[in-house]
Amino acid sequence: MSIRSIELPGIGTKYELETEKGDKIAIVFMDSGRIQLYILEKGGETPTAAELNAWETRRIGSIMTGAIIEAEREVVEIAFSALSDLRISIHTYIISKNLAGKSIGELAIRRRTGVTIIAVSRKGKNVVNPPPLFSFEEGDVVVAIGEHDQIKTFESEILGA
Amino acid sequence: MEQIALALFTCLILAIVSKSLSLPPIPFYIIAGVLLGNSGLKIISPNEVFHFFSQLGLIFLLFYIGLELKPERIMSRGSAFMTSGLIDLNVNMLIGFFAALALGFSYYEAFVVASAFYISSSAMVIASLIENKKLILPESETVVWLMIFEDIALVFLIFIISTEMQHPFVLILKVIAVVCLLFAIVKFVKRALLKILQRDDELPVILTFSAVLSAAFISSYLGIPEVLTVIALGSALSTTNPRAFERISRPFKDVFLILFFFFFGISIDFSGNLFLMQALIISFIAIISKLLSGFLVGRTLHRSYPAGIEIGADTIGRGEFSIAIAAIYGSEIVSATVTVMVILTSIVGSFMAKYSSKIKVSLIKYI
Repeated sequence: MSIRSIELPGIGTKYELETEKGDKIAIVFMDSGRIQLYILEKGGETPTAAELNAWETRRIGSIMTGAIIEAEREVVEIAFSALSDLRISIHTYIISKNLAGKSIGELAIRRRTGVTIIAVSRKGKNVVNPPPLFSFEEGDVVVAIGEHDQIKTFESEILGA
Repeated sequence: MEQIALALFTCLILAIVSKSLSLPPIPFYIIAGVLLGNSGLKIISPNEVFHFFSQLGLIFLLFYIGLELKPERIMSRGSAFMTSGLIDLNVNMLIGFFAALALGFSYYEAFVVASAFYISSSAMVIASLIENKKLILPESETVVWLMIFEDIALVFLIFIISTEMQHPFVLILKVIAVVCLLFAIVKFVKRALLKILQRDDELPVILTFSAVLSAAFISSYLGIPEVLTVIALGSALSTTNPRAFERISRPFKDVFLILFFFFFGISIDFSGNLFLMQALIISFIAIISKLLSGFLVGRTLHRSYPAGIEIGADTIGRGEFSIAIAAIYGSEIVSATVTVMVILTSIVGSFMAKYSSKIKVSLIKYI
């Protein structure tokens, strides 16, 4: 597998690669700042394409490099347009040594901070909606959900403890 | 003042309409000019100020084109670039020239028509490649470089057309002198230029605007076509920071170029009776001719017939350059003919480019 970079004057730069299985992928960085992502299946005639902005491209890039699992702090903030002022943040954190061996119930995360742990990833296996008895190990990646202020409290009260 | 405001507002509305139909806006601007100008409602008449603004549009377009013509980038292109470019040039110039002769144009007029006939619209072609999401295709690379070749060919065509008015030897000496001078000056002040471009006050804009206007002034003083000097200036400045110059000159180009198309539309005289039939025939041949040249390029370069159909379909639209050639060198009847050709080929071309994959499937049965 090798990536070719091709200059397209007036448009931008195209990066092209053929996968092991023979599918073709092209990413075009346009001078306008937008990005087009193409996939042409092996033997296919017409490619499929998506146009992305810079932010979307970075997100996809970090997903593809596996950064979601490794990143210490990944943030997604969701705003519901129909419900005014409801902004929910979803964060990931890596559990450090000082929390190892403690369970969710023991730490009383929800009562103290309002934050809910919705998933834990341990050595590549995911536990969704972990029960209160679930106890952390060092290196677990937890996904926490809550309002902005609750997340801040969680960071200082639980993680900082 | 009110005429220009009216022109720009009309064009704004038409631009919104054309973009929502995903059609190229250029023919709409020209049609707007035709409808409001001499041949239509006569609301707007050509005047000095309008003419000056439309000249600025043309000059900034050519400057912008020049910025893409980085000398070392073009030198490093291989034989595929030359081959495809020469096929495109020869097929379309020859067909365009003889078609125009057969329809009763003089030799000089036929050459002007053929030049306008040959040169596709880079703006439309590139917008359609992006819009129709074709950039993964190897043909799209060929098409994009074909546009660069056409831009270079434009310089030579304009040179040849201009020799009608002065001695070729004198002209070539003047042009070479000016081009060398421009490149030498840019090389000499490159560091100072880069420093100015980094500033975020008004200096970069003043620099760009005055450089472009001075280049145009020098050429009219020396009696060489402005087109050549301004393209050469762009090409010389592409060795510094072309992205910055593009960013700065783009607003000028966008606004004044719309006025250029509009003004062109106002000034056209559609009174001749014979011309409409001629124009329709030329437009029809223009579509066939690009399909043919595209087909030959595809067969030679990609060794595939569908690739040829793709290249042909993508390059049908004529636009800004054809209008520019007609505006500078065309007689009334040439301008009117080129207008019809631009309007028809750009609209047909945008549909052909959009549905090229379906066209490929249905045409391939007959080959």
